Amino acid sequence: MKPAPFTYEAPTTLGEAVDVLGRYGDEAKVLAGGQSLVPVLALRLARFEALVDLNRVDELAYVREDDGAVVVGAMTRQATVEADPLVRRAVPVLAEATRLIGHFQIRNRGTLGGSIAHGDPAAEYPAVVTALDATVTVAGPSGTRQLAAADLYDGPMTTTLADDEILAAVSFPVWGPRSGFAVREMARREGDFATAGTVVGVTVADGRITRAAISLFGMGPVPLRARDAESHLVGAATAGLDLTAVGAAAVAGVDPPSDVHASGRYRTRVASRLVARALESALQEATA
Amino acid sequence: MTATQAAPGSGVGRFLGQSVKRREDARLVTGHGRYLEDVLWPDAWHVAFLRSPVARGRISTLDVKAARALPGVRAVLTGADLDPLVKSWWQTAMGKDSPQPPRRLLAADDVRYAGEPIAMVLAESRYLAEDALELIDLDIETQPAIVSDHRGRWGAAKDGELVHPEYGSNVASTLPYPGMPDSNPALEEVLASAPHVVEETFHQHRYICVPMETRGIQARWDPARDLLEIVSSTQNVHEVRSTVSRLLGLSDVQVHARAEDVGGAFGLKCFVDSEELAVAAAAYSQQCAVAWIEDRNENLVAGGHSRTEDLTVSLATDADGKILGIKGHHVEDVGAFPTYGVGGNAGLAMMMLPGPYDVGQYFYSAEAVFSNTCGMTPYRGPFLMETVAREQLIDITAARLGIDPVEFRRRNMIRPDQLPFTTPTGLVLETITPIETLDQATEMIGYADFRKEQAAARAEGRILGIGIASYIEGSPAFGAAGAEQVTVRMDMAGQALVFMGSGSHGQSVETTMAQVVAEELGIDIDDVRIVQGDTISSPYGTGTAGSRTATTFGGAARIAGQKLKEKILQVAAVALEASPDDLEITDGVVSVKGTPGAAIGMEQIAAMAYAGHTMLPADMEPGLEAKHRIRNPPLMFSNACHAAIVEIDRDTGAVEIKRYVVSEDCGNMINPMVVEGQITGGVVQGIGGVFYEHFVYDGDGNPLTTTFLDYLLPTAADVPDIEIGHVITPSNTPGGFKPMGEGGAICSPPALINAVRDALAPFGGLPNVQPLTPEVVLDVIDGVPAV
Repeated sequence: MKPAPFTYEAPTTLGEAVDVLGRYGDEAKVLAGGQSLVPVLALRLARFEALVDLNRVDELAYVREDDGAVVVGAMTRQATVEADPLVRRAVPVLAEATRLIGHFQIRNRGTLGGSIAHGDPAAEYPAVVTALDATVTVAGPSGTRQLAAADLYDGPMTTTLADDEILAAVSFPVWGPRSGFAVREMARREGDFATAGTVVGVTVADGRITRAAISLFGMGPVPLRARDAESHLVGAATAGLDLTAVGAAAVAGVDPPSDVHASGRYRTRVASRLVARALESALQEATA
Repeated sequence: MTATQAAPGSGVGRFLGQSVKRREDARLVTGHGRYLEDVLWPDAWHVAFLRSPVARGRISTLDVKAARALPGVRAVLTGADLDPLVKSWWQTAMGKDSPQPPRRLLAADDVRYAGEPIAMVLAESRYLAEDALELIDLDIETQPAIVSDHRGRWGAAKDGELVHPEYGSNVASTLPYPGMPDSNPALEEVLASAPHVVEETFHQHRYICVPMETRGIQARWDPARDLLEIVSSTQNVHEVRSTVSRLLGLSDVQVHARAEDVGGAFGLKCFVDSEELAVAAAAYSQQCAVAWIEDRNENLVAGGHSRTEDLTVSLATDADGKILGIKGHHVEDVGAFPTYGVGGNAGLAMMMLPGPYDVGQYFYSAEAVFSNTCGMTPYRGPFLMETVAREQLIDITAARLGIDPVEFRRRNMIRPDQLPFTTPTGLVLETITPIETLDQATEMIGYADFRKEQAAARAEGRILGIGIASYIEGSPAFGAAGAEQVTVRMDMAGQALVFMGSGSHGQSVETTMAQVVAEELGIDIDDVRIVQGDTISSPYGTGTAGSRTATTFGGAARIAGQKLKEKILQVAAVALEASPDDLEITDGVVSVKGTPGAAIGMEQIAAMAYAGHTMLPADMEPGLEAKHRIRNPPLMFSNACHAAIVEIDRDTGAVEIKRYVVSEDCGNMINPMVVEGQITGGVVQGIGGVFYEHFVYDGDGNPLTTTFLDYLLPTAADVPDIEIGHVITPSNTPGGFKPMGEGGAICSPPALINAVRDALAPFGGLPNVQPLTPEVVLDVIDGVPAV
């Protein structure tokens, strides 16, 4: 469990990092918190000519408000996100989901951008950006571009970012008043990647749901949106809502994977119930 | 919470029986522990093994030329290089004639499990060694693997394809042993005529030791000194020394083995396996220093596996639930290359299946089978299948008879008036207290009240259950393991060095044995230091294993301490011109009873014993040193009862352990805190085994759980408070101590499984499947047939 040889690059600015990455093309990998990449390297499941370490790029670690959104720099530690007052007030489900990532030691080191760029389909952050329709800022040789969350993932642990691009920041839209959110997951142990999980957001006006978002994680090659279930929710009265039916609708047609921890059949049953629980909690928050 | 029921004379003294803080902790918890990797020799060549990627096949190509040519690589060794060095290979405890699979250091012609070592690289660093592995050209013609499926049912073919053609059969061993009766006609009559006979097959999946510190060894052959020097992460340095000397045809005085701090073992480091021996052989043949630290991936795939067995038990009772007879048939999968002998644990399981019950007629048979998987190795309570199966069958039987499971146990347990009790397998139980621990455990957990709470919870749709399990912990101290020595030496300054053949790897030996010696000598515990884990300085011994530290080493330490105390008093008597019988030792000072002014300090006594020997009587040997080699019975016993309450999430099948209670009787406790730590650690391993840990192979023998991402260990977040009560009934061994190191791991699986079974009773039966993953549990709740 020792990595194959690689060159180590440690730029101190984003511009420098993009330049260094450009020199290597697809022979380099960006290193953020290292919580997933380092074990992969140690097991020699992947190898790169160079690692471009972003840990000295201070300009990528921040949380700020910007035009109705909360923008989080890619190198912001998960522990910082979890405790940040702005995040907790404006995007509470992001803080709530953060608590489910690993253990505190992992969150002290792991970064928001690293988790989102790594794109583990059973991880919490990709499901949050998917549910909230977040926007990702990507830096490359020709400047920066904005990428919608829906266009970010291509497959398991695969993004649509080019080899010479760096995920620089994530912008989380702040939902309006009378909104509620919840994240629920089933994991074998405290801190594990989810066997199945869901992030739910709703906005309620005059007893009816005006906006709904449901994402599923651990349920497919990428984080999924339960669009059909969402469309049935929008316009529905909160009173007497059949939560179980919404849960069933959310997993209809989903074909989750089987592995040593659980079968796809189990994941489907559990995800359906987690959606119902999360929706119940989100509705309570929205109508409180 | 701690409850204690102490019998009179429970051995509490200045240090004995006190929860003295662990002397190991200051260094271990502050990062100052010194493990093998902390003391690697700077000139050591680092080893990486090329391991088989498949379970079974013929090696058609093995070309190491490119790897040898990589700069920084000293050698790439194959079976052709190393195996000719092997003179003999056997374990001391098993004897040289004990059957075992054909041993090899490195696979040469064929491979027999995924992970089997094929070649070893010696390089300047582990990094370079792993680079060189990638340059080895290996081709294997894959053959169908002989494995059980991932649910653990036995697929090992009895005929045709063989794991070891040289062995002639896939059946590694059977019980009864040749010469023993192959049936019990009286039991058959009972089974045919009893009002109730319940038979079930219980399964235990593959789960493993996984100590925090993996295996590791460094070895250096120094021809100038004619010495092979070894530092190993081991439970038993003398076994390392002797296995290596036998392997290479050296004498025991040509090999020096020692250990540093050992970061856990749980049985994995009792014996010496092929990788460790390959390192010693490489050091010898290459005439250099060689080091190997097993990484976690290797540890999981090839570090020795455990459990993996079925036990079918038939239990006959009368109409009132009195047990009339028990019959057991045990099938074990021992993998390809078990670390010792043929690896089976049925011999001990056979002795222990009756447990703390008066079972009437009895018979036990067993079969161990080879498979193309990693070999079996001892793991804390290696024989625990007997308790795992019996305690589940008792709950199932009690339910069928409509008898409360606690009452069922109480009716059948060995009563105090039956002691000493001889079991059907000839064990003599003298000081066990199963009913007392059952009573204490059920009282602590509030068993009667729980049944009311459970009924109310069920009415609300909540799923609660309680599980009870009882057992006798048998500590095997066969052969040399029952004859350990302790030497206590007091030098001129009056402090004591204590030399033992133990190999502490987390048992607090440095604390508990110092308590015993300090108590006997009347000196401060800080004036006692334990020396162990070194074949040059330690008395010959069998290391730390089998829960024997308190009984064998503790007993020997107590008697050696008494002998030295007598000598101290004899020397002091000369100085004080008094009779030794009139003297006492208090806080390191010897004084005449009733005349505190007539006193002499330990330092003066020690000086007189050595430098002042001319003042001693002519027939008195100078010096202050005493030793005792104990002679213990081959099996010693403690007993306990575990009780667990669980609640199950209706939607996910997740199990939460709400309470966990242990009542135990390990006799006099040297250190109650250490006893409770041992119990807690064992229970955590049981929690891991029942709910999380599972080493999985696919149908072709490919390992699927090769990192901690997939092999799930319980963490602090998954473990409840363990509440422990003590019943103290001294044993008849010196000190009144009893063995207790493994019981936490032995009794927790059935207590937890029984709790889940009880919780799921309204949903129908719990399948005999392990581990109890959320999916297994949810399938029962949802009425979905198991996969």
